[in-house]
Amino acid sequence: MVTNDATILQVKHEVLYEVAKLAWEGELDEKRHELPYKMIPGPQAEWRCCIYKEREIIHQRVRLAEGLCPTSGKDTRNVVQVIGAACEECPIASYTVTDNCRKCMGKACQNSCKFGAITMGENRAHIDPNKCKECGMCANACPYNAIAHLERPCKKVCPVDAITYDEYGICVIDEEKCIQCGACIHSCPFGAIGTKTFMVDVIKMILAGKRVVAMVAPATEGQFGPDITMASWRTALKKVGFADMIEVGLGGDLTAAAEAAEWAEAYKEGKKMTTSCCPAFVNMIKQHFPQLLDNMSTTVSPMCAISRMLKEQDPETVTVFIGPCIAKKSETLDLNIQGNADYAMTFGEIRAMMRARGVELEPEENTYQDSSVFGKRFGNSGGVTAAVVECFKEMNENIEPNVMKCNGAAECKKALLLMKVGKLPADFVEGMVCVGGCVGGPSKHKTEMEAKKARDLLIGQADNREVHANLKEKGLEDLAMHRH
Amino acid sequence: MRVQICIGSACHLKGSREIIQQMQALVKEHGVSDKVDLNGAFCSGNCVNGVCVTVDGQLYSLSPETTKEFFEKEILGRL
Repeated sequence: MVTNDATILQVKHEVLYEVAKLAWEGELDEKRHELPYKMIPGPQAEWRCCIYKEREIIHQRVRLAEGLCPTSGKDTRNVVQVIGAACEECPIASYTVTDNCRKCMGKACQNSCKFGAITMGENRAHIDPNKCKECGMCANACPYNAIAHLERPCKKVCPVDAITYDEYGICVIDEEKCIQCGACIHSCPFGAIGTKTFMVDVIKMILAGKRVVAMVAPATEGQFGPDITMASWRTALKKVGFADMIEVGLGGDLTAAAEAAEWAEAYKEGKKMTTSCCPAFVNMIKQHFPQLLDNMSTTVSPMCAISRMLKEQDPETVTVFIGPCIAKKSETLDLNIQGNADYAMTFGEIRAMMRARGVELEPEENTYQDSSVFGKRFGNSGGVTAAVVECFKEMNENIEPNVMKCNGAAECKKALLLMKVGKLPADFVEGMVCVGGCVGGPSKHKTEMEAKKARDLLIGQADNREVHANLKEKGLEDLAMHRH
Repeated sequence: MRVQICIGSACHLKGSREIIQQMQALVKEHGVSDKVDLNGAFCSGNCVNGVCVTVDGQLYSLSPETTKEFFEKEILGRL
């Protein structure tokens, strides 16, 4: 997988690994301050201006790995955080004339600019940043493609325009706007954005002897190749100290069945509805389209459904979601939902935690299955709709709903805008903020295309049980699925 | 009103889950779910005293035994 932040991924993983190791050994309090010196021994700086800056960045990353804000005394509640010391204060002037400029006679750039921002310099045209309104007309007009649009990578990918800068040009996240989707994290070529993690909390829970159960996302199958099965995950997680593991695909079955009942009713009333399983999509509705909250499904997410099931079996259980999602961390913080998951972790975090205990994912036969194929496909764009339609069929409901499957944040935003003004052509909206669905999540291990073959192979080995029959067999038909 | 309850491991072991369950029940009982927004919070490093709870940014230390009284005084009292 080619990303903007390949080297940084290694540094991030090493920090998580070192923090996990100390946490497992119970030495975090004594030794956390040694980590910047251990990881950046010096005397030469490798990436930044000096080793002192590099060490400060490690220090801030260690704080994030422990679930704290990167800078002491600047606590904010966002899950996604800027690592201030790592931000390179990229130039903000966004339209810049490059060497391609020939100072031609046509001067289409100058003629296209309505704000008089372009003058001719000695060698090339010059854009006055104080006059430029960033309309882009000059860049389109230039016959030599000589005007480049430089945008900060973090700002470019943010779907809700939550990235701003302070007076020194350091990135600041507008927490009222941020939907915790995590798109900015891997967009930054300096690794200056990260998330708080629950890794140390989970390790401490296991060490305290609590019954900690892992809930592994439906998007997982295929991410680590055709040999790493759900059974591989179960074995590895048990070795690390989890009491058990269950696939959240089963929660997909639960959510699909509940949502089908809800949608069937809404369909007959002529009420339009949206899904509620993607936490970044839910945040988008709550923060940017609050007037549509009534149209959002009241069904809990598959993660929460499994957490409720586990806590019904044993109220003392600590439930931990594992997947490619960042926004799931913000979902666990919603305590208005009873029985919600206690913690959420990314693939990277759990793997660092496993590696610190000398545990790796090993190939194992594909013998474990709790979910129907429909639940397993919940993590793909269109998967929720397919599961709900399957449920209609099983319920003998003669409904052929028109669903707008929103693949990625831009499509989600568009559908919600249409819904807001009463012009949504579809009956329902399936909202997934990551392109491809959860399999395209910010903390994915492989891209959707890279993982597709292995994913299809692994899911292809599952039996063809029906959603309702699966829930009946497991005695889960009456599990409470309403948010409140 | 935004109420934040620490869900970090130290607070969990001191009974934050019990406090959360009590708060959820109290919110329901008093019918104030549209006014009180219950949120979890990452550990803020103030683990020494008790379970960390903040109400609109102000920090308190709670235990399961003091939750009901706290709810009536600091949450219902401010609505």
